[in-house]
Amino acid sequence: MTRYDRPTRRGIGRGLAAAGAALVLTTAGADAASVAAPARAIPHSGARTAPAASAAVPARDARTVSVNDTGYLKLLHASGEILTEAGSISGTLPGTAIVRLDIGAETVTATFTIKPATGGSISGTGRAKIGSDGRYTSFGGSLSVTRGTGRYAGAHGTGKLYGKIERVHDTLTVQTREGTLDY
Amino acid sequence: MATAALLCACVLAPAPASSGASTTRARAERPEAHPTTLTAALSPERLGAATTIRIGFRVSTPASGTPSPVTDVQLLLPPGLSIATSDLGLETCVLSKLEGGGAAACPPDSLMGRGSALTEVPFGSTFVTEPASVTLFSAPLKNGHPQLLFLASGELPVLTRLVFGALVMPAGAPFGTLIDTTLPLVPSVRGGPDVALVQLQTTIGAKGIVYYERVKGKTISFRPRSLLLPARCPRGGFRFSAHLTFQDGTRSSAATTVPCPRHT
Repeated sequence: MTRYDRPTRRGIGRGLAAAGAALVLTTAGADAASVAAPARAIPHSGARTAPAASAAVPARDARTVSVNDTGYLKLLHASGEILTEAGSISGTLPGTAIVRLDIGAETVTATFTIKPATGGSISGTGRAKIGSDGRYTSFGGSLSVTRGTGRYAGAHGTGKLYGKIERVHDTLTVQTREGTLDY
Repeated sequence: MATAALLCACVLAPAPASSGASTTRARAERPEAHPTTLTAALSPERLGAATTIRIGFRVSTPASGTPSPVTDVQLLLPPGLSIATSDLGLETCVLSKLEGGGAAACPPDSLMGRGSALTEVPFGSTFVTEPASVTLFSAPLKNGHPQLLFLASGELPVLTRLVFGALVMPAGAPFGTLIDTTLPLVPSVRGGPDVALVQLQTTIGAKGIVYYERVKGKTISFRPRSLLLPARCPRGGFRFSAHLTFQDGTRSSAATTVPCPRHT
């Protein structure tokens, strides 16, 4: 039998930061484009007062996409009740993501920022109830997209949030189901 | 008789300090039927780092009085501490196993802490103090709440094994977590008073705990990561509180604060 001291979470965080977090997301359901429903045209900011600028930055159609993603994140940092997990994502919104989890006795509160590979960012919050114990802490609840930048400026939306933390290796599996994103 | 008196005197004597400067004590201001003292310590106390909580209460009973059994204990812990961000309780133990087989029947990776207790056991017209070891385990969720199991084992003068559960729930500010414990009544002699728990002290954390896991077919031991202190100290320090309810219907409260660590 061998005895060893496992690395601290801080140490793991540094290692991950140096190596880059690995995150895998899979797309569930149809491609985002196929479910996009063009709605009304939203002039880009400043388009009405600056025609020259509008030519450089064309207005785009508002879109609604359904989002069904699954991601596998790794620990970046831990302190108190807070776990910060990060990595790259792929799926409906491929790119990178960082998730901050505040884990209470019964609930998990999450804040997240997704940076799609196509540019811009999507941020929001989530709240979920813890549903299991032991090695895995699973949770289920809902999320809200509250803001975005770049092509996702003004983004908002909702969805169901599911997740599972594997406590020994501090990996987070997170799922968004029945998500709707307007931008 | 002399022995009993000596043991009772021990109960009323101050408990040894558990962690030096980071331990403070407070006694309830109002005169209470069962004045209670609460002690708490964080070891080590480094913000953002792993720590082990040592918390305990002691009930003082007047020498002329009969100790009343504690029936409910509510321990309030400061915010920013979460079991879920630690490695503690990777497995769980169920009440029936603990009652039937003791600590050995529980998975090693369900161990959450250790401590000690003192009970007052009625013998004739007097009470004898019985020390007991306390072991704390993680248990499956109950009604959606994380659950802890306490095992208190005493050998002399009476062989006793007491198992009771506690629910972990969120608590309002300035606290973060409530550990709500309902203690079973332990009968003594027929017609006599029940056994009274007068002191309980336990750790919640990885200090002194070893877990095991299988890696490539081999069992290896490791020290689980303990509770993590928040990166910032709560204003006023880490506050702890205890509310006790006794069989005779009275209640007692006590509070203590572990000061914020000094910047070095």
